[in-house]
Amino acid sequence: MPFPWLSTAILFPIGAALLIPFVPDKGDGKQVRWYALGVALTTFLVTVAAYLRGYDPADPGLQLVERVQWLPDLGLAWSVGADGISMPLILLTSFITSLACLAAWPVTFKPKLFYFLLLAMDGGQIAVFAVQDMLLFFLAWELELLPVYLLLAIWGGKKRQYAATKFILYTAGSSLFILLAGLAMAFYGGGAPSFEYTVLAAKDFGTGFQVLCYAALLIAFGVKLPVVPLHTWLPDAHGEATAPVHMLLAGILLKMGGYALLRFNVQLLPEAHAQFAPLLVILGVVNIIYAALTSFAQRNLKRKIAYSSISHMGFVLIGIGSFSALGTSGAMLQMISHGLIGASLFFLVGATYDRTHTLQLDEMGGVGQKMRKMFALWTVCSLASLALPGMSGFVSELMVFVGFATSEAYSLSFRIVIAVLAAIGVILTPIYLLSMLREIFFGKENPELASHTHLVDAEPREIYVISCLLVPIIGIGLYPRLVTDSYRAAIEALVDRESVALVKVGRAPVPAVMAAGAFGNLPPALLHAPALG
Amino acid sequence: MPSASELAWLIPVLPLLGACLTGLGLITFNRTVNRLRKPVALLLITSVGMAAVLSFAILAEQLAGAGGTEVLFDWAGAGTFHLQMGFRVDALGAVMLSLVTTIALLVMVYSDGYMAHDKGYVRFFTYLALFSSSMLGLVISPNLLEIYVFWELVGMCSYLLVGFWYDRDAAANAAQKAFVVNRVGDFGLLLGILGLFWATGSFGFEEIGERLSAAVAGGGLPTGVAVLLCLLVFMGPMAKSAQFPLHVWLPDAMEGPTPISALIHAATMVAAGVFLVARLQPVYAPFPQVQVVIAVIGTITLFLGATIALTQMDLKKGLAYSTVSQLGYMMLAMGCGAPVAGMFHLVTHAFFKAMLFLGSGSVIHAMEEVVGHEPVLAQDMRLMGGLRKHMPITSATFLAGCIAISGIPPLAGFWSKDEILGQAFNSFPLLWAMGFLTAGMTAFYMFRLYFLTFEGPFRGLDTGIRAQLLSAAGQPPEVTPESTGDGHHGHASHPHESGWQMAAPLVVLAVPSVLIGLLGTPWNSRFGQLVDPIEAAEVAEHFSWGEFLPLAGASVAISSLGIGLAVLAYALHRIDLGTAVAGRFPAINRFLANKWYLDAINEKLFVQGSRRLARQVLDVDSKVVDGVVNLTGLLTLGSGEGLKYFETGRVQFYALIVFGGVIGLVLLFSAFG
Repeated sequence: MPFPWLSTAILFPIGAALLIPFVPDKGDGKQVRWYALGVALTTFLVTVAAYLRGYDPADPGLQLVERVQWLPDLGLAWSVGADGISMPLILLTSFITSLACLAAWPVTFKPKLFYFLLLAMDGGQIAVFAVQDMLLFFLAWELELLPVYLLLAIWGGKKRQYAATKFILYTAGSSLFILLAGLAMAFYGGGAPSFEYTVLAAKDFGTGFQVLCYAALLIAFGVKLPVVPLHTWLPDAHGEATAPVHMLLAGILLKMGGYALLRFNVQLLPEAHAQFAPLLVILGVVNIIYAALTSFAQRNLKRKIAYSSISHMGFVLIGIGSFSALGTSGAMLQMISHGLIGASLFFLVGATYDRTHTLQLDEMGGVGQKMRKMFALWTVCSLASLALPGMSGFVSELMVFVGFATSEAYSLSFRIVIAVLAAIGVILTPIYLLSMLREIFFGKENPELASHTHLVDAEPREIYVISCLLVPIIGIGLYPRLVTDSYRAAIEALVDRESVALVKVGRAPVPAVMAAGAFGNLPPALLHAPALG
Repeated sequence: MPSASELAWLIPVLPLLGACLTGLGLITFNRTVNRLRKPVALLLITSVGMAAVLSFAILAEQLAGAGGTEVLFDWAGAGTFHLQMGFRVDALGAVMLSLVTTIALLVMVYSDGYMAHDKGYVRFFTYLALFSSSMLGLVISPNLLEIYVFWELVGMCSYLLVGFWYDRDAAANAAQKAFVVNRVGDFGLLLGILGLFWATGSFGFEEIGERLSAAVAGGGLPTGVAVLLCLLVFMGPMAKSAQFPLHVWLPDAMEGPTPISALIHAATMVAAGVFLVARLQPVYAPFPQVQVVIAVIGTITLFLGATIALTQMDLKKGLAYSTVSQLGYMMLAMGCGAPVAGMFHLVTHAFFKAMLFLGSGSVIHAMEEVVGHEPVLAQDMRLMGGLRKHMPITSATFLAGCIAISGIPPLAGFWSKDEILGQAFNSFPLLWAMGFLTAGMTAFYMFRLYFLTFEGPFRGLDTGIRAQLLSAAGQPPEVTPESTGDGHHGHASHPHESGWQMAAPLVVLAVPSVLIGLLGTPWNSRFGQLVDPIEAAEVAEHFSWGEFLPLAGASVAISSLGIGLAVLAYALHRIDLGTAVAGRFPAINRFLANKWYLDAINEKLFVQGSRRLARQVLDVDSKVVDGVVNLTGLLTLGSGEGLKYFETGRVQFYALIVFGGVIGLVLLFSAFG
């Protein structure tokens, strides 16, 4: 039997977290933080080893499968595995968590509990991506809420109780829908219930049933992603979280929504997806523009970046709804890319707050005089966030754009409207990010700020954390196939499944165009495009 | 042994490596690296120098008749799509490579003198190398996608360099404006590229051109859509090459250090738009509607730039509007279907405008010795005058530049501008008339700049004017050095000629500014033979002195008229234009001095409009969307139980509801399914 890589990656951090009370520590966190970092790094190495030893990028199917019967009567089993959709996100999770441990270095308030929660989250989040059983998924999804709630409620900012409560109500309320849909799908069609993804995928749900389940799941995952108007927990939660928690929230938690949409809504309910996809695309565009505008108007730095996250997740929605391998691949890459870029920006917000003790942009200004390295790091990460070529955000947004624009599933006019509106985001993003930089760093030094605070420049630990994030950001930007090849086969299989469903549902304009004829002398790309007008 | 063309990828990579190395050094060992000024400068100058050598080797190969080289690899893809990257070298690219590396090299040498006392010296050189790398990458891009990549990267470098002195508010605003206005252009460029890819399935220039016209001819694609796509793509060059109405960022970008104005905002980056239009000729040529739009926009731009330049008092701003105007000429040439003429003007303009900007930098550098490091004072021509006596090299090269840009034979500007006007005369007589008129204005405003700066008495010590200028700019009045005794202020009583690092590039650039035009004479255009031999042969064949002489004579005549007017007004003071024209037509004067009110309109309409919109959306978000959520929360809390779901026996109730719902659902669908 091969080594259980994924189970190890899930259970090791949780087990190690349980041992934290026994770690000798004087209470200032100076010993326990090394322990936590060690555990997080080991987990990261385990996931890397899993990728290298047990995972074949060319295989579209499920790999690294482990299955242990648990409660056979209920159809419950410990079932984990990874395919192209989950493997990159598992790696992302363990990577960002390691960096979050490093970002949590200055935490001195109840450090043991803090690191315990951080490590528990690590295992829980890997489980969310790795489990292959819908009931297990629900459990992992719920379990991961608890650490976030506590991390917000204990270490948050001034309004932490409000933010934490809002978060838990929102997500717990919405996850009810997951359970509902999961149970419904498992019991559908009679026979012994099974929550296994593969079993569910093989079932032939009626279209009407699919639509209901899809709607329920869309609400649940839409809260997580988040989709406007289900997003209002996010600015509050992000606005109150400390930097390491922030990195996890933006880097991984939001991706759970995107992952789950791909895994359940697209993979298990393809016919409903064929019906719902235009809605996803429209919601994506709303996300992009609406959140960009709110971000522009925000005067609080953390909330500004939080809204920018929402804006970026809009591209994930468009990509998922694009019915093209390129677009879906772009959505996947956007999740990874935003995981890295979002984490870096939120880390910088935390580092800046440690120095300025304010998040209000009006109270900053001219900070670049004293914090030059910080200025440089902020500039690079902001440029990454505004999708500058050479960095990952550009590639993913471009893939979504090209994938959607050439998608055959939509009428031309719809594609034009969506592409134009989404491209407005291309203008809005630099407006809010650059004005933010302008207000923090440029101009004359704010005398009041300078007199109250001690603006020391970035320390090596901070530069190291950002560098670790920038290496993959730039690496992907220069040669995206480094990452896209790892999930390409799985995405292509997924999109094939989508296309079959599309034809089944009868929303396929492609054959109509082909039949129209008179296109004999046209280049192939035009043949696939629907008639104009 | 690979040929130089096969090694072309090294050209952008070399400066990039240098920039990365110093950039990493700056972030890790800031103090040490900042102290290594000369070694860093030497390293980066060497890397650009090596790129220059390679570029000239490629140019030599192209002159010897080598064909184009193109190398591609799969960069990203999924399904049946492949996005390719790579590099491509041909005659047009070789010319641009040599041009960019030459000017970049000279500007770097110049910067060693200009930035000698700046604490950001190393950072400045790093950005310069980064810019050179991006610009060179743009030049060798084989397809629209890669062009877009480097297009954004040069925009980023421009952002970093315009905002180089980040403690100045004006610089910070200008940097942001430059980036955002360029993004507006990129918005169109991106959509256009996507649309062209949708229509043709390709990003390559020739392929797009062939397939697009085939699609239109075959009836699969309405002409209107094809034209629209072409125009969307054209939005990119409009922003980058500062064409009306997206030119507004360029004059503001003069807040950056002057070497940057010379390299990026006169010679290379702003020419990228023209270069892209030249590359896209296979796409644009079949659509006369597109050509007309390009020509008209170019003409509006050349006229607008020249009229605003008439009233500018800031030396650099005057040159900036002149750049806008000259870029308009290049676009006009593209619109007339004469890319060779446009590219030739790009090359000649790059040399003499870079020289003029570097000359203005030399002047500003010298003025700072007298009036201090205050751009409001150091760049204003009302405080200059009589500098020829103190700065002979600068003034001589500046004069050469003025003659070149005014179009006096045999200097460079005459040949290139005259070729454009000749083409316009044949294609669009009305636009030719505008260009012709503007040629006169160009000569006038350039010599106005020259006389105000270098002739007459030196006015730099006039404290009255200084105080006036400062109060007009809303700055606090200066503290006289006598009262404080600090060394911040200028102490010199008159300016001095700049050091060799700054003077040498001026002299080097003067050579091509004077002579390079001779490579593009209409009867035997070596430039044309290199870039487009077929068209060059055609032009040479149709050349007749009878057609050339009247047009060229008219151009020279109107330029001379402009120069004469400038001499009368600013050298001999025979006519007072202030009362004669400005006094009599105050409306026109105000219109021009306010830059056609375009900045004001932008501010009102777009800047404040978008702010207001954003605020309103945020209001909706916090009051309506979040309000509903909080109201729901409040209601549940009001019932006194809301939060206790998780603690009391209600969990069973919760589970019951869930279970009931599920059973209901399953029954429902089992019945119908």
